[in-house]
Amino acid sequence: MIAFTDIVGMDLAKQAMMLLAVDPSLGGVVIPAAVGSGKSTLARAFADILPEETPFVELPLNVTEDRLIGGVDLEATLAKGERVVQHGVLSKAHGGVLYVDSLSLLDSSAVSHVMDAMSRGAVLVEREGLSEVHPAEFMLIGTYDPSDGEVRMGLLDRIGMIVPFTTQNDYRARKLIINCVLGKNDSEDTEDELKMLRGLIAAAKEQLPLVSMTKEQMQGLIQSAVSLGVEGNRADVFAIKAAMASAALAQRSDVDEDDLKLALKLVLVPRATRMPQQEDVMDEMPPDEEMPPETPESEDQDAPDDNSDSESSEEDEQEETPDMIEELMMEAVETELPDNIMNISLAAKRKSRSGSRGEALNNRRGRFVRSQEGEMRSGKVAIIPTLISAAPWQESRRQERKKKFGKVNTALVINKEDVRIKKFRDKSGTLYVFMVDASGSMALNRMRQAKGAVSHLLQNAYVHRDQVSLISFRGKEAQLLLPPSQSVDRAKRELDVLPTGGGTPLASALFLGLETAKQARTKGVSQIMFVLITDGRGNISLQSLYDQDAPKAAKEEVEKEIEGLAATIFAEGIASVVIDTQMNYLSRGEAPKLAEKLGGRYFYLPNAKAEEIAMAALS
Amino acid sequence: MTQTASTAKKPASTKAKAGAVARKASGPKKARTKKKQGQAYPFTAIVGQEEMKLSLILNIIDPRIGGVLVMGHRGTGKSTTVRALAEVLPMIERVKDDVYNRSVDEYIEAEKSQKGRKTLTPEDLTIEDIPVPVVDLPLGATEDRVCGTIDIEQALTSGVKAFEPGLLAQSNRGFLYIDEVNLLDDHLVDVLLDVAASGRNVVEREGISIRHPARFVLVGSGNPEEGELRPQLLDRFGLHARIITITDVGKRVEIVKRRHEYDEDPQPFLKKWSREQRKLQKKILNAKALLAEVTMSDDVLTDVAKLCMQLGIDGHRGELTITRTAHAFAAFSGDKEVTMDHVREIAGLALRHRLRKDPLETMDPGEKIERELAKVLGEVEEV
Repeated sequence: MIAFTDIVGMDLAKQAMMLLAVDPSLGGVVIPAAVGSGKSTLARAFADILPEETPFVELPLNVTEDRLIGGVDLEATLAKGERVVQHGVLSKAHGGVLYVDSLSLLDSSAVSHVMDAMSRGAVLVEREGLSEVHPAEFMLIGTYDPSDGEVRMGLLDRIGMIVPFTTQNDYRARKLIINCVLGKNDSEDTEDELKMLRGLIAAAKEQLPLVSMTKEQMQGLIQSAVSLGVEGNRADVFAIKAAMASAALAQRSDVDEDDLKLALKLVLVPRATRMPQQEDVMDEMPPDEEMPPETPESEDQDAPDDNSDSESSEEDEQEETPDMIEELMMEAVETELPDNIMNISLAAKRKSRSGSRGEALNNRRGRFVRSQEGEMRSGKVAIIPTLISAAPWQESRRQERKKKFGKVNTALVINKEDVRIKKFRDKSGTLYVFMVDASGSMALNRMRQAKGAVSHLLQNAYVHRDQVSLISFRGKEAQLLLPPSQSVDRAKRELDVLPTGGGTPLASALFLGLETAKQARTKGVSQIMFVLITDGRGNISLQSLYDQDAPKAAKEEVEKEIEGLAATIFAEGIASVVIDTQMNYLSRGEAPKLAEKLGGRYFYLPNAKAEEIAMAALS
Repeated sequence: MTQTASTAKKPASTKAKAGAVARKASGPKKARTKKKQGQAYPFTAIVGQEEMKLSLILNIIDPRIGGVLVMGHRGTGKSTTVRALAEVLPMIERVKDDVYNRSVDEYIEAEKSQKGRKTLTPEDLTIEDIPVPVVDLPLGATEDRVCGTIDIEQALTSGVKAFEPGLLAQSNRGFLYIDEVNLLDDHLVDVLLDVAASGRNVVEREGISIRHPARFVLVGSGNPEEGELRPQLLDRFGLHARIITITDVGKRVEIVKRRHEYDEDPQPFLKKWSREQRKLQKKILNAKALLAEVTMSDDVLTDVAKLCMQLGIDGHRGELTITRTAHAFAAFSGDKEVTMDHVREIAGLALRHRLRKDPLETMDPGEKIERELAKVLGEVEEV
């Protein structure tokens, strides 16, 4: 077991955890990091700096709904003859930590429950005849690999701090972790360090009520939130709390610039939805000094904020005005951008290239929603409903049996017709991945059709819980405009600004579609359909994407790539439809060929209406 | 060995009847006391978000408006506001301990239809005042808890088939709130649609057969980016309030400050706001009393009909809702006569979600309604 203090690197994540330990009402810390960066080791080590006996509950990804929110404890209920309630994972974490590894892979109903518990501070159990409220105030530590997909914004909104995504120090951290494991660290030192940290946090907790923030500082933080386009009011509260916790850690009673900066970095910047517009400030700013990358020198963690940027101290020690705080913000944004904004807050826009995890985490992970009569072998038996249906007849059956056989040798007489089978909700309908050729002259027309078709599909198919994703391809590579979504609003917004023209990187689109499909599979979407709106004439190779200097690929090579990808898509069991909107006399039969390779259907629909495309996909 | 229908009936001779359950209402009562949480954040202390607050208030004044759907950005106080509602709600009369919150008339009516019961008179019943119930329907609720089911404890221990009422029973004559309503399971949506349309909950399961009144004001909230609402359900909501992030720094500072003050120590904060709360409560009560006297002239009615026609709204629910809402709004403003000014204030709320959806339409529904309204009133030249 590697202790909190032994972990090297990820200083910002550690700082965030310290703040959380000081003020648990910050809600939690989310740590996005690549595989093998030691993020889960760090998350588990969080327990080291908390008071002993603090609950630390790990939420397994395949958690069922009844385990998550609680329900009837069957065994105990039967033994005692009265209803015995079993608390769920969420309420077990009450007063402590709930840890979720791979937060982005948690299925959406579980996410909803976590969100609900976090905003209520309790779990409402209304199931299987139970109606109870279980307290569930916990700190959430979530780690995830951004290449696995995004975390739902609604959930992120309730978690106070989001550590900026970095890949730079994982290698270093790993090396040092190995050293740790090999016993090169003195365990006694570790114990002392931990003790010191715990003492520091305990002292900060006492200090916290004494910390105050000036009105200007508060306004400054909120102004920053407004300029960054942060949605809602929760982030304001979190930012203020984070700054105050940071001051408390330093045993100060007033908030200083470093505290504010930390709050900006951990709370506001990761939630930005737009770049702040502050030309005047930009101009005045000195040429951007390289922010010292989180350096290993800060291994000794006794002063948690000593790795904050040195430049800040150069500024005069005057009262911060809201304007000054905005400058600070710009600084934070400057140093953290573009990586952070691109990687975290606009995770939706990220293109993922790596990290397919295979499939099937989730064979029977659907939600158990109701029970119905059925054959014992035709599914999972819903025990409680079965008992409920058998219960009223016990007296009469016993007598009946007694009459028939002279004795009753079972406690319960359960008949075939009592059996209730669990019905699971079909978690998700079909995912339609639209791939729209945005190249060349037909682009505009095709785009409008695709836009209409996407909106149409969304509106018509909502009942089936279908999802739609949109990929456009033009120029050098394909782009994921809309990750799988059910939202018409989002689809429209993404579609509204869509450039056209350039080459036809069909291979790149297929590749991206495949990645999207694989990701969706890990989230339980089993049926996937590609809808390609193209003439099928790809002319940009995948090769050229990764190797800038590669010579322009030959036509055969491009074709080979497409062929290979099409075969993979077919083998993955993904259905495809190719919709050709090219004028007849221009077509050279590439699109039907593509459809054939994909094992899909081909439609020739020049000037197709949105409805027709939607119909073609649905039929 | 299968059971015949006749033997099946026997142990059920204590047939679950509404009346019988009401007398031994220990089950649900227990649950309710457990639910008692601390007092919510005061409704009147919520900064901004007037559209949502107004829609909720109008629904208190006239529950027939049909509920509110609140959609908007996350973290903007949607659920805080709805949960704050309970504290400004008036009291209602019900038959003492009735699990369905029935009024005396409803109760007598229901008993009359039960065969072999003697006719009750109001004098036979005790009455109590309860606050209008606000019931929370969490996403993870199972159908049996929503509709009610057999009381398993009773069934297992004493073999008695008693009905344990669900959330629909609790919410009769009150508010039923669903957070993240756009993520609600489809089968629960079906149940809700059914009950909302008929005002009754019918339970036919596990050998019990019960029907009870379930008229509630449906309040839903959610973030449109997380998923769409089923059109049938969307149509059920009388009003649609939109909510967006406040960008005024001053207001946001105020929000944070008030929240902080409340979190620190709720009691003094609640006390500080109690006058405002009482004031609003009184205003709502006055409006409720005035509502019966509010009238609408034929001219206004014609204009409303014209507006709905021009907006191409299908069915008559649009007209009905906008008329009722305008009445409630007039009453809330202390006016006895509905004018087009009243209509203008609430037209967006009542009609926004009823416009036909055009995938390529870029104009905001609110603007469109405003524009058509101006045309109807002859404020702009028709194009």
